Amino acid sequence: MHYDLIIIGLGLSGLMAAKKAVEMGKKTLIIGKGTGSLCLFSNTIDVLGNLPEGMKMANGLPLWIKDHPEHPYSRLDWEKIEQALSSFRSIFQSQYPFQLVDHENCLIPTGAGTYRPAYLIPSTMIAGTSLKHGKVLIVGFKGFKDFYADYTAGQLKCRGIVIPLSEFQGQEMIATAIARLMERESFREALGREVKKQMDGESRIGFPALLGIRDPLSVKTDLEETIGVEVFEIPILPPSIPGMRIFRHFKEWLIQRGVTFLLGHSVLKADLNGKRCESIEVSHPPLSQSYSADRFILATGRFIGGGLKADEEKIFEPLFNLPVLQPGSRDHWFANSFFNGHPIHQAGILTDSSFRPVDQKGEQLLDNVWIAGSILAGHDCIQEKSREGIEISTGYWAAKHALGT
Amino acid sequence: MQMKTEVLIVGGGATGVGIARDLSLRGIPSLLIEKGDFTSGASGRNHGLLHSGARYAVSDPEAATECISENRILKQIAPHCLEETGGLFVSLPEDGLEFRDLFLTSCEKVDIPATLLSRDEALNLEPELNPDFLSAVEVPDGSIDPFSLVVENARDAEKHGARFLLHTEVRSIQVDKGKILGVRAKDLLQGEEHIIDTRYLINATGAWANQFLNLAGLRLDMALSKGSMIITNQRITQRVINRCRRPSDGDILVPNGLVSILGTTSIHLDDVENFEVTRSEVSLLIKEISRMVPVIKGTRFIRTYAGIRPLVLPEEKEDDRAISRGFALIDHEKRDGLKNLITVTGGKLMTYRLMAEKTSDLLCQKMGIQASCSTHRTPLSGKGKPFELKERLREIRPALGKGAEIICDCEIVEREELEESIKKGDLKDLQDILHRTRLAKGTCQGGFCIYRLLGVLHDLKMSRGDPNSILKGFLEERWKGIRPILWGTTLKEEELIESIYKGIFNLEP
Repeated sequence: MHYDLIIIGLGLSGLMAAKKAVEMGKKTLIIGKGTGSLCLFSNTIDVLGNLPEGMKMANGLPLWIKDHPEHPYSRLDWEKIEQALSSFRSIFQSQYPFQLVDHENCLIPTGAGTYRPAYLIPSTMIAGTSLKHGKVLIVGFKGFKDFYADYTAGQLKCRGIVIPLSEFQGQEMIATAIARLMERESFREALGREVKKQMDGESRIGFPALLGIRDPLSVKTDLEETIGVEVFEIPILPPSIPGMRIFRHFKEWLIQRGVTFLLGHSVLKADLNGKRCESIEVSHPPLSQSYSADRFILATGRFIGGGLKADEEKIFEPLFNLPVLQPGSRDHWFANSFFNGHPIHQAGILTDSSFRPVDQKGEQLLDNVWIAGSILAGHDCIQEKSREGIEISTGYWAAKHALGT
Repeated sequence: MQMKTEVLIVGGGATGVGIARDLSLRGIPSLLIEKGDFTSGASGRNHGLLHSGARYAVSDPEAATECISENRILKQIAPHCLEETGGLFVSLPEDGLEFRDLFLTSCEKVDIPATLLSRDEALNLEPELNPDFLSAVEVPDGSIDPFSLVVENARDAEKHGARFLLHTEVRSIQVDKGKILGVRAKDLLQGEEHIIDTRYLINATGAWANQFLNLAGLRLDMALSKGSMIITNQRITQRVINRCRRPSDGDILVPNGLVSILGTTSIHLDDVENFEVTRSEVSLLIKEISRMVPVIKGTRFIRTYAGIRPLVLPEEKEDDRAISRGFALIDHEKRDGLKNLITVTGGKLMTYRLMAEKTSDLLCQKMGIQASCSTHRTPLSGKGKPFELKERLREIRPALGKGAEIICDCEIVEREELEESIKKGDLKDLQDILHRTRLAKGTCQGGFCIYRLLGVLHDLKMSRGDPNSILKGFLEERWKGIRPILWGTTLKEEELIESIYKGIFNLEP
């Protein structure tokens, strides 16, 4: 099978690249082992969470770019990033809209009772953004080990209650199972009634982010109707149900438009002919199969995604064996404190301004391969809180550059 | 609070607790105070080896004799705290056989059973051995759980009248006319001050022995030596694997329950509080031990840690007051004219009971009491409890079927079990809980379960202090042990943990 474009990696950057490609009318294959960090950590769309509070993104991001010439954002500008973000938002508009509050980061409560900055916020979390006003009730589920209402409420200085779910007798309560239960109307009605009974004048109710995968808006609306006050979701330990919503909806949208999806398959190797990649070999146990394309996008993520690997001495990129920007010697990979930024996070693939891989001297290495997402060098998306912003914008623009040439 | 005791023991390691038990069985009541939890020092930071003594047979026959004798005693009195794994001494081509021959005759001299195995026998017992090995000798090494051992000693001592005050630090010592009257101490968690009058004081503070004596205006020359270890995420061999050569860095691999421990190094230290495992120690241990067991090279490691060996300098050791070459027992009446003070330090976990016996003998002599030791023949009370994890798993398995809430997925700790140990014990801080459960001991090293533990404590209304500061403190401590081994799969896991706590939860220093 021959494609115009093959995208390796099923995270947010790969999905965005596929979206751009299909919009440009290209025959596209997207392939990956798993969904990487998207279904683990992505709850909101973070663009640059470490800006000073109250600073508009349109002002802060250009300043950041100026100070960080090696950052993936510096291959773009704010206008281009915004264009990619709108493209992302457009496909979620009806079922699971993402909202922007005052064009700046706003704070949402988390499962540890802390606040974290976020830029685009799913409508299921939006009522949590101004938590400091009014009385709030936090609801947890008895036997669910990844959220503790008392702990969270204690930190947020409000009240927490724990509700038993009789549906779970005899089986372990996991996030996806609760989220699926939420999709049952009778279940959420009963839950809503129970919460209402235990209310004490609160004007808002916070739940762990488990309000359904397919249709979270209906879950939220129904709960609000039964209880009579606003409801919001709180991000918790992985897996991320909000991330799964993004993946699921994105996948359906792409498949409807003719993108070929290969989920759960590893790419074994890339077949190169000089500076051109001709095809990739994909494992379909017990066989392997070759897929060829004119162009390729590598969006395999960092260590969790398998895009980067490290042995005792160095960091490497296993598929194309591209040079990886190394964070000094092994002794300098990590800072002394866990909470500091670790130099290893700056490691990654160097590219030119159109996301083509280059070596240290800026020499272009491959003619028809582009790089997108967190595998890129020069950022620390955990510390910066820029994960989704980098993935969405570089995925979109890598595809645009790849297909515009 | 004002307190009074006949004997005050300072230090809650194996030695101090061993003394408390020994005295209690002789009918002498004591109070033990410890600034942290049990085994906070070297007793909790070693490779958990039940020595056969073979390691010392060539270099130090006296220490070897002590070890094999204590080895036999511990198997009788504390079978539930140890596993009789057996051990091998392996010679590699670069070692030759000269040392091996000396080793065999030396073991025979001190009556340590040492059997030369055939090549097939050895590989049959331990298939992961480097196939190039020249020779393998089997000895009765084993592994021991130091925390259980010390807690069992404490429990038994308590039953016979000893008292324990944990998280309490001695701040000053009152001396008058060549005699100690008592100490002032502080409860480090509650802040309460105690004045403790005592007729006899025993310094069992291990590596802190000199610092402690400074409070009484005395000093003891000690050399502190750091030993570093690495824990693997699975058990690599069934037996203890030793390198058959003169003692040096990276010569032992000790199985411990479901994991194995690589040991060890020896690095001079000046500071008894601040020390970490370095990258070069990790490289050295992996390089040396993979010579004996090649799979170590590709093994996943879950944590590093280091302990301090408190060594007393030769001029003290050769003094006639030193009863054994393995440890120092000092009667400060003879040494410094301070009538009622004894220091015991040096030595090793393996000989804790013997150290306690000799210390108690000296104390009885000073007190003018005729009472003899019985710890070598009186089993610890928990005898009969299963030690092996496999059996513990069998115990909790029935509960798993009922949809139990598993708080720690790595080590399978369920909520009910956790709540029980939190409620029954007098647990004062996070370290106390971690010592008494298997939380944070598995592959993720507490990355998930510490957050859950704090949640459970909140549900039980037993949480004290700000949970997020406790969480942050834990993550920093965990980081120290993990940072030197971050590559491969462990690095992947760490990206997950960082993404949770710095990302999703936005915890900041």
